[in-house]
Amino acid sequence: MNPYQVLGVAETATDAEVKTAYRELAKKYHPDNYADSPLADLAEQKMKEVNEAYDMICDMRRNGGTQRSTYTTSNAYSGTQYTHTNFPDVRRLIKEGRLDDAMQILNGISGAGRTAEWYFLMGMIFSRKGWTEQAFSYFQTACRMEPNNQEFMSALNNMNAKRTYNPTGYNTTNTAGCSMCDICTGIMCANCLCDCCGGNGCC
Amino acid sequence: MFGFVTVDRSEMLGKDFDAYKAIYCSLCKQLGKEYTFLSRFILSYDCTFYAVMALSLEESCCSFITGRCKFNPLKKCNYLKNNEQALSKAAALSIISVYYKLKDNIADGGFFEKLLCYLLMPAFSLWHNKAKKKYPEIEDAVATMSMQQFEVEKDKNCSIDKAADPTANMLKTIMSQLSDDETKSRVLSSMGYFLGKWIYLIDAANDYEDDLKHKNFNPYVIAYAQKKREHIDDINASLDHCLSECYLSYNLIELKCFKRIVDNLLVYGLPKKQKSILYKENKN
Repeated sequence: MNPYQVLGVAETATDAEVKTAYRELAKKYHPDNYADSPLADLAEQKMKEVNEAYDMICDMRRNGGTQRSTYTTSNAYSGTQYTHTNFPDVRRLIKEGRLDDAMQILNGISGAGRTAEWYFLMGMIFSRKGWTEQAFSYFQTACRMEPNNQEFMSALNNMNAKRTYNPTGYNTTNTAGCSMCDICTGIMCANCLCDCCGGNGCC
Repeated sequence: MFGFVTVDRSEMLGKDFDAYKAIYCSLCKQLGKEYTFLSRFILSYDCTFYAVMALSLEESCCSFITGRCKFNPLKKCNYLKNNEQALSKAAALSIISVYYKLKDNIADGGFFEKLLCYLLMPAFSLWHNKAKKKYPEIEDAVATMSMQQFEVEKDKNCSIDKAADPTANMLKTIMSQLSDDETKSRVLSSMGYFLGKWIYLIDAANDYEDDLKHKNFNPYVIAYAQKKREHIDDINASLDHCLSECYLSYNLIELKCFKRIVDNLLVYGLPKKQKSILYKENKN
């Protein structure tokens, strides 16, 4: 594997260019985007390749001072991080792609058994089937019933993001830290404060 | 439901547009070659997209030769050199899908529509048989779609997802057949499903007023009744959702050639078409 090819940059690319390319790809294949998709495993594979390629380049260039800081794929619901579930079998079946079987179990439950998680899992099944409208409405119900559930909330948020088509920039929830814009505004504010104190406005 | 999958020319490089045009012209030529001159009139952008996808997954990229347009002998066109297989597939898809569209119209069209379809039917039956023999798998997919659509439309409370499912599945099947590689095939089927769903739904949104007037089946009429205006953003969101999923799937595949054309279609062409259809009346 040529790590440069994986990231789509030339071997002569600067560290910054490598990092930008890596960031772009990490954003593209981010597991959040594929959490409710039947292609989740392929996206994960791609993400792994990209991470490995970036690590390799960083190792090769270590003397040059590139710092490695690959994205980790631990987020609210990419894996098995839910704390408690009443439907372990259904979750397993969905993961294995046996959607009809999972649906059958859920449909067998009625009345009080239809908890928020029931609606959430129904949404998952429909989403994997491509029945987007139905999935959206189930996710909404799940969140209305249990607004504090992190797992349901992030599923709904991800789906909401998809309902505005924005092919050039999928924003995931991983936007910690500050962007260049934040820095600019910060400096401008500081500059204003300096002005107030009678400075010359060029602090 | 034809002609929604178009490129956005203003966002395209000249050379890419030339290539796109060459594919379009080559498909036209292929139709003429396999199914007589008259069949050229059914050429559509949707089937051109199918040809683009088929070509972009081929091992070697195409080269072009210059020839003359049959409709306008003064015009010179570029044609593809030796890519019969992909073009022939797309030509067969054009024939088969138009054939089923005609059959559909005969079943529930107006008087003049029926008459026209009856007149066209003999020729199409002939061409359809030929295409069917050559690509039974495409015939299967479209025939299944037509049958399922008929079933689905019996349901007076049909949901949006259910109504779009047959068309989505049809495109899912024929897209997945474009590659023998299992991973690629999976990505293509997901892409196909959501693109098919988008095509069906944009058609439904486009025909909303007509269908409401003539009491035809339309999932948006069922879901929103007379209140399309108030729900226009919901309709937009449902279509956007399809495009997002389609694009996310597309990100997982690497195309050898014509990547910029497919990019243009998905990033600019389809959303532009969608906005122009949904928000056209709002301008006045």
